[in-house]
Amino acid sequence: MNINGVAIEDTFAEAFTMRVARIVITGRTAKWAREAAVKLTGFATSVIGCKCEAGIERGLAEQETPDGRPGVSVLFLTMDKESLPQQLIVRLGQTVLTCPTTACFDGLPDVPPPDRLAVGKALRVFGDGFQASKVIGGKRYWRLPVMEGEFLVEETFGMLKGVGGGNFLILAADADAALAAAEAAVEAMTDLRGVILPFPGGVVRSGSKVGSKRYKNMVATTNDPFDPTLRAVTESQVPEGVNSVLEIVLDGTDPSSIEAAMRAGIRAACRPGVKAITAANFGGKLGPHHFHLRKIMA
Amino acid sequence: MSDAVVLTLREEPKHALIAAAITPDRLASLGAAEIAALPVVHGGRAAQLGDFFKVKGERSATIRIEGELAHVEGIGTGMAAGEIVVAGGVGRDLGVQMAGGRIDVHGDAGDNAGGAGPGASRGMTGGEIVIRGKAGPDVGARMRRGLVVVTGDGGRGTGRGMIAGTVVVFGTAGPGAGRFLKRGSIVALGAIERPATFRYVCTYRPPYVPVLLRYLGARYGLAVADRHITGRYERYAGDMAELGKGEILRWVGD
Repeated sequence: MNINGVAIEDTFAEAFTMRVARIVITGRTAKWAREAAVKLTGFATSVIGCKCEAGIERGLAEQETPDGRPGVSVLFLTMDKESLPQQLIVRLGQTVLTCPTTACFDGLPDVPPPDRLAVGKALRVFGDGFQASKVIGGKRYWRLPVMEGEFLVEETFGMLKGVGGGNFLILAADADAALAAAEAAVEAMTDLRGVILPFPGGVVRSGSKVGSKRYKNMVATTNDPFDPTLRAVTESQVPEGVNSVLEIVLDGTDPSSIEAAMRAGIRAACRPGVKAITAANFGGKLGPHHFHLRKIMA
Repeated sequence: MSDAVVLTLREEPKHALIAAAITPDRLASLGAAEIAALPVVHGGRAAQLGDFFKVKGERSATIRIEGELAHVEGIGTGMAAGEIVVAGGVGRDLGVQMAGGRIDVHGDAGDNAGGAGPGASRGMTGGEIVIRGKAGPDVGARMRRGLVVVTGDGGRGTGRGMIAGTVVVFGTAGPGAGRFLKRGSIVALGAIERPATFRYVCTYRPPYVPVLLRYLGARYGLAVADRHITGRYERYAGDMAELGKGEILRWVGD
C-alpha cells in the first residue's frame, strides 16, 4: 500500500490499556484556561519518566462548558487506577488551583461509582476549613477561598479505561522533510475528540525500546533499529534513502478515537520527502490494542 | 405503569386541603384506585384524595397536578425522589421536609415552601423546588440542604434560619431574608433587604453562580439573563448572630 507515493508498511502499533480522566478547565478568557492546561500537562510526556501522560484534547467554546466561559479539555492518563487520583490531586493543586480565574470540572460525567475519583474532595482542604460545597444538578462542587476570590472544583472526576501508546513513525529522506510531515500530521490530529499527543508539539524524536542492551537499570533506551546514525552497527530497520525518523504517539479514551486520529495523521504525513510510514510494536506480546496501519488506511 | 400520574382537581376546596400523601415515592407503587383512596384532610376532617381529584395513570414517580390549588397544602411532604409538576399555583407547606426529587410549580406557592414541619428543627434536606411565580413567607426556612428557586418575589423571611442549601430569588426577597442563617446561600438577583447581622465582605464573581444559573436554564428552561450569569455580586457573610458561615449574594451589575 502507498499513499501519495509513501509506503505504508504492513505492521501495527501496539498500545496499552491505561486509566484516563478528562479535565475541563475554564477561565475568564481562553488564554487563562490554556495557561492552566499547559502547566497541568507539562512534564507529562511518558509514564516512563513522568508517571503520567497528559495533553490538551481541544479548546472548548463558551456553550460547551458548565460555567459558560471559554475552556480547555485535557486528557490525563496513568498506568493504574491508584496513581491517577494521586497525580491529579498533586498536579491540579499546583497548576489549576494556582492559576487566576480558573475553575475545574469533570469531563466524564457519565462514569458511575466506583470509578469516580475524589479529586476535588481532596483539594478542598486547601481551604483550611473555610471551604464550602454546593450541590448543583446532583453534582457536588467545592468552593475554595483564595486571594483572588474563589476557586471552584468538582468533587469527583470520572475514570475510564483508555488507550496509551498508539503510534506511527515517519521515515523521511531528511530531517526537514520528517519535521514538516510530523507537523502536518499533528495539525491534522489537533482538536480531535478523545485523543491527545503527549509529546512536545505532538512529536517524538527519541523513540525508545524496552530495557537496555548495556545498562541493566534502564527501563527504556534509544530505539536503535530506527536510529539512522546506527545503521551500520545495529540491526537497522531504516530503509535506504531514509535519514531521519520521527514518531507520533497518541493516547486516547478508546481505540476508535486513536484509529480515527491515526488515519488523519498518517494521511497528512504522506507528503514529499517521506519514504515510508511504519509503527512500533513489541511483537504483540505486551499491549492488547493493535492498530494495523494498512487496515486503518484502507 | 404510566408515564405520569395526573391529578386533576375537580373543584376548588372550600377549606384547606392537606394533601401530604401526594408524593412520587408513594404513588410510584400504587394503582389508580389506591391513589384515589389515599388519605387527605379537608377542613380538619379525614377524607380521600379521590374525593377531590380525578386520578389518571398509575405507578409512576412523575406526578402532574392540575387545577386551582391555592388551598391545597403539603404537596410533596417528605418526598425523597421523583418529580411533581404543578400546572398552577399551590398552597402552603409545599415540599416540606423533602429529601430528594424535584417539584416544579408553574405558579405561586404559599408559606413555608421547602421549610420545616410543625416542631421540626429543619426543613428540606435535599432535592429541588422551582416556583415560577411568587413564594409566600418563610420559603426555604430552616432548610438543611437542597435548592429552592423563586422566579418572582420571595416572601418575608426567605431562607430564615437556613442550615445549608441554596435559595435563588429572581425578584425581590422579602424582609428578614436570611435571618438566623447558619450556612447556605441566598442568591438575590433582585432587591434584598439584608439583616443588620450580615457583614459585607467583597464584590466578586462567585464561580458557582454561573454553573447554577446555567443549570436552571438547561434543566427547567428558566429564562436567566446573561447579566446575572456573568455579573458581579456583593457577598454578605452571616448571620453573624449565628455561625456566620452563610452568605447573601446580591447581584450588582456586569
